[in-house]
Amino acid sequence: MGTLIAIGAGIAVLTGVGAGIGIGIATGKASEAIARQPEAKGDINKALLLGCALAEATAIYGFVIAVLVILFLK
Amino acid sequence: MDGLSEKLMEELNSATAFTIPIGNGVPISMSLAVSWGIMLLLVVASIWFTHNMKLVPSRKQAAVEMAVEWIYKFFTDLLGEEGKRYIPYLGTVLLYIGLSNLCGLVGITPPTKELNITAGLAIMSIVLIEAAGIRAKGAKGWLKSFAEPVAFVAPINVLEIFIRPLSLCMRLFGNILGGFVVMELIKLVAPVLVPLPFSFYFDIFDGCIQAYVFVFLTSLFIKEAIE
Repeated sequence: MGTLIAIGAGIAVLTGVGAGIGIGIATGKASEAIARQPEAKGDINKALLLGCALAEATAIYGFVIAVLVILFLK
Repeated sequence: MDGLSEKLMEELNSATAFTIPIGNGVPISMSLAVSWGIMLLLVVASIWFTHNMKLVPSRKQAAVEMAVEWIYKFFTDLLGEEGKRYIPYLGTVLLYIGLSNLCGLVGITPPTKELNITAGLAIMSIVLIEAAGIRAKGAKGWLKSFAEPVAFVAPINVLEIFIRPLSLCMRLFGNILGGFVVMELIKLVAPVLVPLPFSFYFDIFDGCIQAYVFVFLTSLFIKEAIE
């Protein structure tokens, strides 16, 4: 049972893959945009931060589920 | 596995700090006590910083003026002129969340790792957002704004009232709890020196970013509501 719970928690944390890919793409595009238009840096940073915060939320949900799985399935 | 889960559970259940002797006694949890401490610190600091202000500022006053101006400029960019009245609240929340996240540095468990506190903050945010919408558009205009851009997306717009605070609250809670759990695990494995760089990332960097993101999203939603 313990192993199964551990596997389940591990699968839940796999949401981090999506967040990682998303934030990676967003940051890459943001650096491209800043390289092209350095004067728009402030606006780009703001948009990037918003996007990262929203993308990262999925990873956080996965983490919360994993913690809940460990804590409440004994 | 069992040891870890017990330890996690222990960290999640915030201990009772003291009991107020009214009736059967009102238990005050540790995180609430810590956040009262932070509020007290903020109040005392703002009284100390603003007493006997002069037209020609002293050094202390100049530093505070710069900080306040930075906060005003940051939020005015986001909110526009008509949103200026919400800046004091947003600034206060920024300071409060920032300090709460940073107090892990001095060994106090951050109160923002408690779901109840982040939920409270998120509910305050959504009430402010909707109130700002009603104030700017009137009750009728606010109701109508649910049916924009087309009428059949109204259920999704109504759902958003619940999703926004949920996501605000879960993001703050998850990030701080995640950082806290990772820090505890690192401290278990290597208690000396190794936690230092991780503490920089999880306590200082992540704490500041999350405080920033929380008020940033709140002001973005307010801007959307009053437009």
